[in-house]
This record gives sequence, structure tokens and C-alpha cells, in this order.
Amino acid sequence: MLQGLGVAGIASVAGCSSGGNGGDGSGNQSGDGSGNQSGDGSDGGQSSQGGQLKMGLVKSPLEFDPIVLNDVPSEQVASQIFEGLYEYNESTGLVPALAASEAEVNDEGTVYTLQIEENATFQNGDPVTSEDVKYSFEAPVNEETENASEVNMIDTIDTPDEKTVVFNLSYPYGAFTTTLAWPIVPKSVREEDPDAFSTSMPVGSGPFQFDEWQEGQYVRISRYDDYWGEPMPNLSGVEFVPVEEATTRVTTLRQGENDIIEEIPPQLYSTVEQIQDASIQEVPGIGYFYLAFNCANGPTTDPLVREAVDYCFDMDQAVSNYVEPTGVRQYSPLPAALADEWGFDVGQWEQIPHGKDINQAQSLFEEAGVSQDYSWRIIVPPDDKREQIGVTVSNGLQEAGFNNVEVQRLDWGAFLEQYVSGNEDDYNMYTLGWSGTPDPDAFTYYMFGATEDTLGVTDGTFYHNSSERAATATEKFVQAREMADQEQRKQLYTEGITTVLEDRAHLPAYNLKNSFGVKEYVNDFAEHPVDSFHLTSNHNNVSVNK
Amino acid sequence: MSRLRYTIGRLLQAIPVLIGVVTITFLLTDAIPGDPVSIMLGPSPSAQQAAAIRAKFGLDQPLYVRYFNYLFDVIRLDLGESLYYSVPVTQKIMERLPITMLLMVSSFTFALVTAIPLGIISAKRRNKPADHISRVVALLGVSTPSFWIGLMLIIIFAFNLNVLPATSLVMPWADPSTVDGASNQIDVIITAIQHLILPTITLGTLQMAAFTRIERSSMLEVLGEEYVKLARAYGVSEGKILRKHAFRNAQLPLITIVGLQLTTALGGAVLTETVFNINGMGRLVITAIQNQDFLLVMGTTLMFGVVFVVGVIITDLSYAYVDPRVSFDGGD
Repeated sequence: MLQGLGVAGIASVAGCSSGGNGGDGSGNQSGDGSGNQSGDGSDGGQSSQGGQLKMGLVKSPLEFDPIVLNDVPSEQVASQIFEGLYEYNESTGLVPALAASEAEVNDEGTVYTLQIEENATFQNGDPVTSEDVKYSFEAPVNEETENASEVNMIDTIDTPDEKTVVFNLSYPYGAFTTTLAWPIVPKSVREEDPDAFSTSMPVGSGPFQFDEWQEGQYVRISRYDDYWGEPMPNLSGVEFVPVEEATTRVTTLRQGENDIIEEIPPQLYSTVEQIQDASIQEVPGIGYFYLAFNCANGPTTDPLVREAVDYCFDMDQAVSNYVEPTGVRQYSPLPAALADEWGFDVGQWEQIPHGKDINQAQSLFEEAGVSQDYSWRIIVPPDDKREQIGVTVSNGLQEAGFNNVEVQRLDWGAFLEQYVSGNEDDYNMYTLGWSGTPDPDAFTYYMFGATEDTLGVTDGTFYHNSSERAATATEKFVQAREMADQEQRKQLYTEGITTVLEDRAHLPAYNLKNSFGVKEYVNDFAEHPVDSFHLTSNHNNVSVNK
Repeated sequence: MSRLRYTIGRLLQAIPVLIGVVTITFLLTDAIPGDPVSIMLGPSPSAQQAAAIRAKFGLDQPLYVRYFNYLFDVIRLDLGESLYYSVPVTQKIMERLPITMLLMVSSFTFALVTAIPLGIISAKRRNKPADHISRVVALLGVSTPSFWIGLMLIIIFAFNLNVLPATSLVMPWADPSTVDGASNQIDVIITAIQHLILPTITLGTLQMAAFTRIERSSMLEVLGEEYVKLARAYGVSEGKILRKHAFRNAQLPLITIVGLQLTTALGGAVLTETVFNINGMGRLVITAIQNQDFLLVMGTTLMFGVVFVVGVIITDLSYAYVDPRVSFDGGD
């Protein structure tokens, strides 16, 4: 999903992670964080074993039906209520949740067979059946929801008995295990009243049940005492409250109005560190922020010019100035956690970008025949960090002798329209961010479009069309997507990414951390690269001892 | 009777003003670059899905058809359905309006209660230290942006001193069971006041400063009038001159400014609500604009228009209570 658009809506591209046990709020920067001020009168809540947790998010959820929701705050809450067949461990690995064991996969990688946990039940007492699973995976496509592309590689689903599900894929989709983290809903309840299911009585199989929601004010969930799985939550309840303004959010942590807050901006890191009874917990998310070139029209179609732009500034310095400590430098489209998990040789990609060398840049511009009068246009979305990267590039171009360089910060509506036009008057470069499931597919297929689904849709570089070499490289991403063998896929991704980086279709920039301010009396809170955070899971169980 | 006729006349005059507001907002919203449907659906929606949404919101029709449809809907008090929230715009406005009204009423009260004494003292002690202090306060108030004041107040009173809450408002009439730590209505009211203090000062400071300056100059003018000199010549005490002779006459310009300051207060509410995490009309407008929720943008703008027009009418009517010489018959 595009990073930054925190509103309902942007996740539709399959790039976004499908909710693992609920949702992956892959740390988007957009700011949704949850902040809660707790509230229910039982504030003290000491009688219950693990207490009440108040958590400050950045934005308010909009709905809770995991089949249709498409924004991070909604996912953050829904993921406590719903579960998938698989769920994430403490990192990017997937382990069975509603599934009784690992899936059996046929040799071609097109048929996945799973058994559902015998005793798994929804919060209304009904057992979780293969019909519910089939329904949950088919509904997004049948209803043409915004996130349908996350499950549309499934051709058919068979349900030979109540506890067995067989997924038949249209092609061997390499990243299908991450798809299996898709949340499961009870068919009968959701069909009876879809609106109520989404806003007033969502029913899942997870450890927490939904209590109450006031849009823009709070969401309350509580421990489901008959939860089928393990562990039973320590917390008796959780309240999520949106607090958009960062200073205010940090103040609520200081005052104890919230026990945890999310998303600490760079300028407030030291403030949070100075709060005596709180600390920062953080982990890099599954994201990728980058500068991209228009390879369809204008001077940046020439790889020499793109290299010259690379010489105009120092990305290491820019990231250090404007992004750290809330983010980390990233040298390829693949986030560090994902690259580690797969064992990619990130070191070779680190060697590709140049440091700042204006003389070298000028001679390359000259060699490519770019006139000093050329008017450059860099477009950036409404986000300070990405704007600052754009401004850094602009300053470098001016140092290299260009007087007409414009950095235009556009609202999302205008940006989304312009960055895929391929028109030189709209942009020579743009900055953007992407978050997705922890599979290389999410960070290559959509970025470097080689199909009509992506070229000019989620990819505004049009790099694929720019040369034979580019076409070969980008087609590898399509091949790797439709292949089950991980070693073969890794080889294709390595080759493709290396070419793309050498040709400088993108200049990778940084990745953001999922950061939280956590009070000392909160135990075992786990920040998570994909799901944003875990409260009660296979590796942690939060409690509050005020 | 004449006052009633005047009131009705003014209300009728408001109709073309509001039609103008609707028209301008409609055209401006239409001219915003970008596509609300792409914000809703993300960068790669299916064609049918996009077409279905366009049809649902009438976006597939020409501009003039949409305009007249919207105008007729507004006449029927139907402001359409929000794209972002998927609920009727009127419902959203009704949820949020009382919160913003509470904030505005309290900030105007704060501004008047502080500005009138400051202005009078300033005029009474012209060019003395009290006057200088009051003028500096007013100058700072007028020139400091409200979001900055808000953040400073949060840092000092909420973050460092930890004596006042920094977020959200509590309605004084809220049910005690829904308010943290409140067991009865008195507790709710106390909590509500605590929550109101910082946002009120934030939003009210600009008003206070503007009112102080007007009050001072208007008071100075009245104190220089012939009849005040006459009163002094008769030996009437200064205190009595201020209270009995000058005060009421000096308030007319202030009343005019109070009405006009409604616009800046509505603008200030947007910033104040954002800083203090208050779910009022201001944040509703921001959300609407960010998501190109055009029906919500038009609905909230229209509502701001209505609030302003009503405010100005009330201001006009209040002239008569302050100054019996004002007659509504002649239209002066």
C-alpha cells in the first residue's frame, strides 16, 4: 500500500499487507497511531489480573469488518478481534493460528491444503468451519472490495469436510503463505447484517471482543473469557483513542492519560526519552521510501542523467538529517527484516549509490546534453520527510547549475493522479513510500510495472518500457511472483533488483520504524514489523501493573 | 413588532448569501485537482468499482446537473452522504457542531470578560504603566498564532506542570457514567471545565486582544465627549462617569467587532481542535478536505456560513438593547 495515505482507501493495491492476525499495520507513516485514553470508568481496573490498557493511536478507525477495511487504524483494532489461518511470530515468520498445522502444498505450488483447529470457535460460540474460511477468502473478490487484489490469486476453494480447506491457485503464487494470514470471519453473522458487523458488532475468533466505538473518540475492546486459543489475554480491556497532534500525544503519555502511544516524530524523540517512567520501543517496519524517476519522458529517460542526479546529493546525509531516528537508511526496495529472512546480499546493493560529487554530476549532465535552462519538476506527497528528500535533490540540481527547479508538494488526490501520468510536465521525479507483506513480491511487482495491472497504475517510472535491459529485469519480478521455489525466486529478485538499482529507476531512501512510547508499568508490549504491535499473541501477553 | 419585522427581513437577506456560499463552495470543490474516488479506492481500483462509486455520488453527470441537484437537496436540508464516513453529512455535523459551539461560546466569554476591564483600565490610565501593559498584551495576542499558543499551553500546563488535561472536550451535560472518574453531574461539569481551560485560552486570546484594542479606543473617544466633560464639571465622580455615562455608549463598536470576529474564531477553531484533539467542526473540515470528501466540505462550509450569518444578525439585534436610540424602522 502507498505509505502515508492513512485513510481508508489506499491499501487496495495488493502491496499492502493483508492482515495477519488482523492487520498489518505496517508501520505506515501516515500516522495513524492509536492512542487511547482509557476511559471506562473502571480506570483503576486493579481487580482484573492484567488491568486496563489505554493506547494512543494517531487516527481513528473507520470500520472493523476485516473483509472491507483498508486503513491502518482499523486494522490495528480489528487484528485484536480476528485471527487468520496463520499469524506472524515476533518477526516476519508465519506460524499456524486457526490452522491446526502447516499447509500441505503440492509440487507445483498451486494447491494448499489446511486443517482448521478442532476446537476453534468464534465469539458467538460457533465453531470455525471450512465454510467460514472459504467465505472469508472469496468475499473480497465477490464484493469487489478495495483489497480484493490481496486474495485474487485464488482460483477456487474446496471444502471436503467441515475442518478441511483446499485452496486452488490460478498460478503458483510465491507469497501465498502471507495471504494465509487473511482474517477469518463467521459467514452467518456477517451475512445477516454486514453494516452492523462492520461498525457495532464485529465477531471474530480472537482473544479480544468488541465493546464500543465512538468515531474519532475511542474504541473499547475487552478480553473474551471463552477464547479458544492460548494464551488467554492478561488485559481485561483495551481502549484505543486517536490523538493526531504529536505533541499532544506525547503529553498524554507523560500525564498517564495513555499507557502507550504510537508514532513518535523525530523532534520529540528526546522528549519521550526524558519522561522518567516511559521508554521508546521501536522496530523497522515493512516499508520502502524512495525517489523515482520518470523514465517515459524528459531528460530522466537517459540513465546518465539519473546517475548525474544521484551525484547531486548524498542520500545517506539526507536520511540522517531528516529521517533518523524515526527511520533507517535502506539501500534496496527490500526492508531489512525481509532481506535478512531471505538471506539477500544487501551489501552489494549498498555499493551502488554515489556520494555527492557536483563536478561529476555536471560532466554527466553535459555528456547527456541537458540544457542549463531546463525546468525540473519534482513532486512529493503531503509528508515532511519525503518533501525534504525532494528539496535536497532540488538543492543539488541548483548547485549543479540549474536555476529552474521546482519541488511541488501535492495533496494526495492530485499526487495520485499525476505521478503515474508519465508526462514530463507533471514530473521528472517523485518521492513515494510503499508498505506491504514481508515478501519481495510486494516491493518489486508494483514498483516496476511489467504488466498492465501495474505499469502506469502503481508504477510512475515506466522504467519497463525504457530499454531492453529494463524489460528483462522487470519481467523477472513477474516470473518470480508466479513461482513456488524460494531459491529460484531469490535468484530472480537478486538479478532484477541489481539491474534496477544500477539503472537508477529508483534511488532507495529509507524505511520507517514502528515506534511506541511505553510506560514502565506496561509489561511485555511487543512492537511488530508487520502488524505494528502485538498485545496477546504466540510470543507475548501484555499486562498493566499500575 | 418592528424588531420582529427587521429580524425576518435580515433572515430573508441571508438566503441569497447562503446560495452564494453554496455556489462558490461547489465550484471551488469541483476545481480542486485530484479525484475523490482515487483517494477512496487507492491507486488501482477496478474500473467497475470506480464507475459504481461515481454513479452513486452523481460524479458521472455534468457540472450544472450536479449543481442544481445539490441546490435542491440543500433546500430539502439533505446535504448528502459523506464519502469518507459513509454516513449522512447532516448527522456528522450534528455530532460535531455542539462541541465547536461550546468551545466558541466559552472562548468569546473569556475574551469579553478579560477584554472589557483591560480596555477600560487602559483608557482610564492612558499612557500610564497599566495602559502600556494592556497594550503590549493586546499586541502579543493579536500577533501570536493560536496553534503556537495552544502548543505552549500544553507544554507548560499539561506536560511540565501536569495540572490540566491536554486532549478532547467533555460536554458538561454528558452522562456521568461515560466520563472518566465522574460519579455525578457536578464531577462532569468540573471535568468539562478542566478540559475547556486550555482550548478556551488558545482560541480566545486573539479575540481578547482585538476586543481590548477596540474597547480602549472606543472608551477614549467617549470619555472625550462633551457630555462627559459636562458631568465632570458638575463634579460627578470618575467612577460614576465610567459606569453610568461612558460604559454603555462605548460598547457599540465592540459589538460590531464581536460579530465580525466570528469568522476568525471559526478559522481558529480548526487549529485549536487539531492541537487539542477535539472532535469538532474544525477537524471535520480538515478531514473532509484531506480526503476530498466534497459533500462534507460543502456541508461544513455551508454550516459555517449559517453560523456566521446568524451571529451577525444576533449582533445587529443586540445594538438595540445596548443603545435605545437605535431603531430598526429606519434601518439604521
